[in-house]
Amino acid sequence: MVTTLAAAPARPLPDRRWRLIRRAAQSWLAPFGAAVLLLAIAAALLAPAISPHDPLKQDLNHALARPDRAHPMGTDNVGRDVLSRVIWGTRVSLTAGFGSVAIAVLAGGLLGLVAGYAGGRVDNLVMRVMDAVLSFPPLVLALALGAVLGAGLTGVVIALGVVYTPTFARLMRGQVLAITAREYVDAARALGVPGWRVAWSHVLPNATAPIVVQASLSVAFAILAEASLSFLGLGVQPPGASWGSMINAGRGYLQQAPWIVFGPGAALFVTVVGLNFVGDAIRDALDPRLRA
Amino acid sequence: MAAIHLERIPTDISRRTFLQAALASGAALAGPRRAWAQETPKRGGTLRVGFYIEAATMDPHLSGSKIDRQVYHNIYEPLVVLDTNLGIKPGLAESWQQPDSRTVIFKLRRGVKFHDGTDFNAEAVKFNFNRMKTEPKSVRKGEVASIDTVDVVDAYTVKLNLKRPDAALLATLTDRAGMMVSPKTAQERGTELERNAKGAGTGPFVFAEWVKDDHLLIRRNDAYWNKQGGPYLDQIRYRPIPDDTVKLQSLQAGEIHVMDYVQPRDVAAVKADRNVVVVDVPSLADFAYQLNHTRPPFDNKALRQAVAYSLDLEQIVKGVWLNVGVPANGPVPPTSWAYDRSIPFIKRDLAKAKAKLAEGGKPGGFTFTVTTNNIPINVQEAEVIQAQLAEAGITMKIKLVDSATLLADGNGRNFDMISYQWSGRPDPDGNTYQFFRTTPGTSLNWSGISNPQIDALLDRSREVGSQVERKKLFSQLTRLLQDELPMVFIIHPIEPKAFSPKVQGYDPIPDGMMRFKDVWLK
Amino acid sequence: MGLLILRRLVATVPVLVLVTAGVFALIHLTPGDPIDAMMAESVDDSVKRQLRSELGLDRPLYLQYATWMGRLLQGDLGRSIRNSEPVIQNVGRRIRPSLQLAGLAMAISLLVATPIGILSAARRNSALDRVGTSFALFGICMPNFLIALLLIFVFGVTLRWLPISGYVDPLEEPWDGLRSLALPAITLGVALAAVITRTLRSSMLEALSEDYIRTARAKGLTDGAVVRRHALRNALIPVVTVLGLQLGTLIGGAVITEYVFALPGVGRLVVDAVFARDYPLVQGVVLLIAVGFIMSNLLVDLLYGWIDPRIRHH
Repeated sequence: MVTTLAAAPARPLPDRRWRLIRRAAQSWLAPFGAAVLLLAIAAALLAPAISPHDPLKQDLNHALARPDRAHPMGTDNVGRDVLSRVIWGTRVSLTAGFGSVAIAVLAGGLLGLVAGYAGGRVDNLVMRVMDAVLSFPPLVLALALGAVLGAGLTGVVIALGVVYTPTFARLMRGQVLAITAREYVDAARALGVPGWRVAWSHVLPNATAPIVVQASLSVAFAILAEASLSFLGLGVQPPGASWGSMINAGRGYLQQAPWIVFGPGAALFVTVVGLNFVGDAIRDALDPRLRA
Repeated sequence: MAAIHLERIPTDISRRTFLQAALASGAALAGPRRAWAQETPKRGGTLRVGFYIEAATMDPHLSGSKIDRQVYHNIYEPLVVLDTNLGIKPGLAESWQQPDSRTVIFKLRRGVKFHDGTDFNAEAVKFNFNRMKTEPKSVRKGEVASIDTVDVVDAYTVKLNLKRPDAALLATLTDRAGMMVSPKTAQERGTELERNAKGAGTGPFVFAEWVKDDHLLIRRNDAYWNKQGGPYLDQIRYRPIPDDTVKLQSLQAGEIHVMDYVQPRDVAAVKADRNVVVVDVPSLADFAYQLNHTRPPFDNKALRQAVAYSLDLEQIVKGVWLNVGVPANGPVPPTSWAYDRSIPFIKRDLAKAKAKLAEGGKPGGFTFTVTTNNIPINVQEAEVIQAQLAEAGITMKIKLVDSATLLADGNGRNFDMISYQWSGRPDPDGNTYQFFRTTPGTSLNWSGISNPQIDALLDRSREVGSQVERKKLFSQLTRLLQDELPMVFIIHPIEPKAFSPKVQGYDPIPDGMMRFKDVWLK
Repeated sequence: MGLLILRRLVATVPVLVLVTAGVFALIHLTPGDPIDAMMAESVDDSVKRQLRSELGLDRPLYLQYATWMGRLLQGDLGRSIRNSEPVIQNVGRRIRPSLQLAGLAMAISLLVATPIGILSAARRNSALDRVGTSFALFGICMPNFLIALLLIFVFGVTLRWLPISGYVDPLEEPWDGLRSLALPAITLGVALAAVITRTLRSSMLEALSEDYIRTARAKGLTDGAVVRRHALRNALIPVVTVLGLQLGTLIGGAVITEYVFALPGVGRLVVDAVFARDYPLVQGVVLLIAVGFIMSNLLVDLLYGWIDPRIRHH
């Protein structure tokens, strides 16, 4: 869904951006999504300040306690406050999500740029490698990479980053091909503007939008993927916890103490939904044909 | 169904208390000798059993996995069998004698036929031992290493000539190393025996079919030699269900009748469920952590002891294992005759811990990493231990790995402290020798301990025949182990097994193997 | 056309070679060894060493890879280390449940998503649209093991309507088979339905705003006819694409669903093989999954080219 809006050469246009935001704000979804995202980021940054208890403090005498005033989301199987762990878990889950997508955007974007721009054999080689990574069953790839890179969040982030790289490489390459085909780029080249400058001032700004859309959706998927990987035994090292590993650790207690699962589950769900709204809103805003 | 809550954990747990407490809940399910003796067993029905993985092979000589044994104990039979008190009773061997410490003479049961119709006799026994020793992929070689030659004295008498005295041999022969496979079938079928064991055993059930990844079926042996009691069931269907929550729910929904293990976290709820019967089977297992003696920090004995004094075993057993088990004083479980109740488990003592830290040159504490398997209960245990050690000033980092990596790290001595959950063997030798004896090269002695006193005790325990003598040796060993600490022992777990109320006649034996000979369905 | 297909097929070869090299390197880099994993409780080092040398595991990596490739080119994918059966046989046993699960999941998702997607687009921004898009969102925003657990709890344990574990082949026993696949198929289908709803909705919106639609409306055709005749056909194209891509992913990717519901599928096969370090099985199955994925992509591309008249006359 490449936008035709990006036809004009990109110069910072404040009023155009303002129009986008205004259009996005028409439905309640986008502001909700944005609010959720900001809340999550705030929770991650302010965790030490806002969490009611120490997320690591165990109290085996009060394990699996129901939610009450002292523990709004109850306690887990070793007596830790679930709400505090959910708040601190924001850090881990967001790191997993944003970290892996950052790696994918950087690596994929670079590869796509090089491939699209250089063309020929380089393009062929790069895209074949990307195809190979894409054809690999993603869970197996993440699992094997995780085992090689060693236990822990870093391993998962890198593994997911690798898994998502081809998506961004393809996206970037597509953008590069579409944009460099336009006359004004030829003109710039004819005028002797060096390649990297063309890339910098023409290609990148126009490619940003679709990449941002994809990135926001990918962050949502990465957060979910991290949850799935913790199901298979990969991920953040205890006693730290991501929402995914909390859900996974708690699923054996679903019948006795469902709050262990639903606390982080709700946080996960709401954040992922919020990210989707934001991504959708950006995409809708950029597509002129969807103007109501 | 009374829930077992050991609210106050006695420091000296007598073996009888352990067994009684554990078996109390199983009274209703006990065999013909107890409460349900009045009900007449009904023939027929298919028992559906759920295990967490499926069997790996049907050839007991090539088998390395615990789940295989569950099936074997129904279709094959060993020379000798275990009873509830871990006593050794006649199996395919009616009686035995040991004229000297290097000879065992078995008198075999007559009139037993393999499922393929051939006779069970001394030639068959000789064939089996030779196969275990010479078959290239045999996993039993180490277990029968003490056997030098096997003589056929007459059709039903076999003489084993041992290279050295081996007091643990008989106990080893109650499992795979003593299981008799039909020579005719083994020779005819070759490697196919691993997939298809039709005709190969002598047991109350016959191998029928194995649809890999789906189910394994065994059928009643109507020609079974033992006419007392069962078998009653028409057939038994084993199914692998990897997720233990789903497994439990399958039982609760009636899709399976039996499951081999209930997670501690589910035990209380399951015991309260009227649709399920739980039997607590005390096990032979010891769950511990091995400490690496070959490198810092645990090459330093004082630091090892600091860790041991910082642990609160009672809190771990209560909080993590929910009292499904008892704190461990060493590798020998309370179910064993060798268990010494007078040796208490190491109690938490932060003052001593701090003193040991100072003695070890780290008064301010130190940091190390524990490597453990990435399963929920291990993670929980590690987190609790982490918190306990932190109170003594010791920082423990947790490294979660999958089991292949755990084995690699253990075998390669690439760890500071590593989780080791040993399922246990009927003879105390099985829980000790291979872990604590000085062994060059790769072995299960992951800690790398090499202590001449321990070596001497272990060797002697194999030579001495008298149980009384051996028990003294194991007591000495346990005290030494508590000092040297190649491992920090945590718990002797109980293995709760769960059944549909329709299942009758189950007799729990502490080795955790589910024998269905006398089981019937209401 | 035939030449095009051939060219595309040839182009997949280097990709597949890269996949084999990648999986080979990766699985051999993971710590641990299949023999140790198989014989964890055994002390017999000599037996282990012998097994390793029999399987060639003690030779340098590049030699092992070369040997494996050599056999592959002769059509031999090797044997699983754990059960000594040919890899092909292992996969063959597992492919049927996986395909059936994928098929059923896709059917369910289409059944659910098509009306919702169309109606959402037709009545844009109405309450129906909101409900539809919310449902779609729900499906993709929940981790699928959570969906599975909730389904089990509600339908399996509480209501006892459906079996919660185990596999019965619908081709052998239709009713029991479908019941055994129902919960896992719904689990996968929910996420799939969400994706299809969104795709269908946005492609319908796009189709509905096309010029020729406006012409049709101007000509006086009723809304229903407009939708049915013109927009839907074109809107389905991206849906076909999505489904085709998802099929490729579903075969090897339904690991968690297969695990939770104890289904003997390909996904679980390969993940268990990774955990057991069963090198030949991992290499073989990953290769087959990659082939399946590429083939389904190819099929979708061809189908796309055939359906979409604009591209057909390229």
